[in-house]
Amino acid sequence: MLKLLGSCMILTGCFGMGLWYRAQFNGRIRTLRALREILELLSGEVRYGRSTLPECCSLVAKKAQPPFGGALERVGQNMRDNIGLSFGETFQKEFEEAFEGMHLKDEDREAFLQFTRQACHADGLMQLRAMEQSIELLRRTEEALEKENAEKCRMAVGLGAMSGILLILILW
Amino acid sequence: MKNSILQLFPLEYRLLWQQTAQRQEYIQEIRLRAGQPVILHMGGREVFLTGDGRTTEDCRGAYRMEGGTLEQIFQHICHYSPYAFEEELKQGFLTVEGGHRVGVAGQAVLEPDGSVRTLKNITFLNIRIAHQIKGAADGVLPRIYSSGRLKNTLIISPPGCGKTTLLRDLIRQISDGNAFGRGMTVGVVDERSELGGSFMGRPQNDMGMRTDVLDGCPKAVGMLMLLRSMAPEVIAIDELGGMEELDALRRAANCGCRILATAHGENLEEVQCRFGVDRDFWDSFFGLYLVLCRKDGKCVVKQALEGREAFA
Repeated sequence: MLKLLGSCMILTGCFGMGLWYRAQFNGRIRTLRALREILELLSGEVRYGRSTLPECCSLVAKKAQPPFGGALERVGQNMRDNIGLSFGETFQKEFEEAFEGMHLKDEDREAFLQFTRQACHADGLMQLRAMEQSIELLRRTEEALEKENAEKCRMAVGLGAMSGILLILILW
Repeated sequence: MKNSILQLFPLEYRLLWQQTAQRQEYIQEIRLRAGQPVILHMGGREVFLTGDGRTTEDCRGAYRMEGGTLEQIFQHICHYSPYAFEEELKQGFLTVEGGHRVGVAGQAVLEPDGSVRTLKNITFLNIRIAHQIKGAADGVLPRIYSSGRLKNTLIISPPGCGKTTLLRDLIRQISDGNAFGRGMTVGVVDERSELGGSFMGRPQNDMGMRTDVLDGCPKAVGMLMLLRSMAPEVIAIDELGGMEELDALRRAANCGCRILATAHGENLEEVQCRFGVDRDFWDSFFGLYLVLCRKDGKCVVKQALEGREAFA
């Protein structure tokens, strides 16, 4: 009876681990999508409202998913308070904090923050192009991940379950 | 810190400007030129900024600003979004939070038709410091009312003599109500954001409780928009510039609005010549002309002429 109970626990644990990995894969895609949406909203504000970048952040903050909405709000607030930091520095600082504990790779963060590292543009179209480059990079990563994700997710859950069975067999 | 000139500078340069910022109320202009000494116009005289943030009258000890620093300051002033100030840059200036006006010069980029597309390689900045002086209009208030009715008033002065400051305080006092008249709804078309110093549409200066500000809108268009939408009793504009604006003023006055306006000029004749409108208009349209000048470093009313009296 004890052996049976232990086997069930091992199987559940391994299966659970597979599900956790699946959630990780999906989480990265969801985060990338949220970041892309933020950039699209920001570029919309630049295009139609001709708003400054800090203004754009404040306007988009309410529409963005947490915790990014809060980060955008803080960027807008800090720039309004004019503590002396540049837009790029403020944006990067707030988003690095928001990224903590998220399923993101360095290249994802870099792709998102890229538009803040470039010099500020005097031409609205150039500014939009800089943002679109970031959007494009995120979209490409997102598409590539989506393609391989279904397979990865199936594999994670399958491997989890199979490793559980293997462990039970070894221990039995 | 609010409206402080320190906010015009990035963090790394604030220490340099700390002492100057403490004397902000005396500063009229800050002139920054790449590779040249930083010049301040304070209390009607010219002084140089030193490397340790003090001021001197000797240009040999002056701090010379590098081109890169100037570029950084420009970016900071533009909130790192110069594209959002494209139209203002074409005019050669932009207005920042607090209503300070920043004149810009550098290399012009032209459109094929010869008009200015933008400015690049910006190497000269002239920061004109806006001052909200509450009570600046106390002395003229008794004259702009006649039996409790506000007169259409034109404030005339050369640059730097305080016409915007006077107009701002008149708006505030007329809006809130004062000893000579009840509070009135004032519509302000603040094309260059100098009156309200608006940031995200909200005036940073006290414009009074019954004031509606249309920020960043061309004056002629804005006056008609306000007439249609906000039913102002008084319309106020800064720097009357062209015939289109004069026509819009007439239409507003025909709708029963009282008018407050300013115009560049040494005297009434100069303004009259510039617009080229017949004398009858000036005789009947404005009930009061206030001509300002600078005397001993202070802005004073040189002449206050009643409409008819001005042409007598």
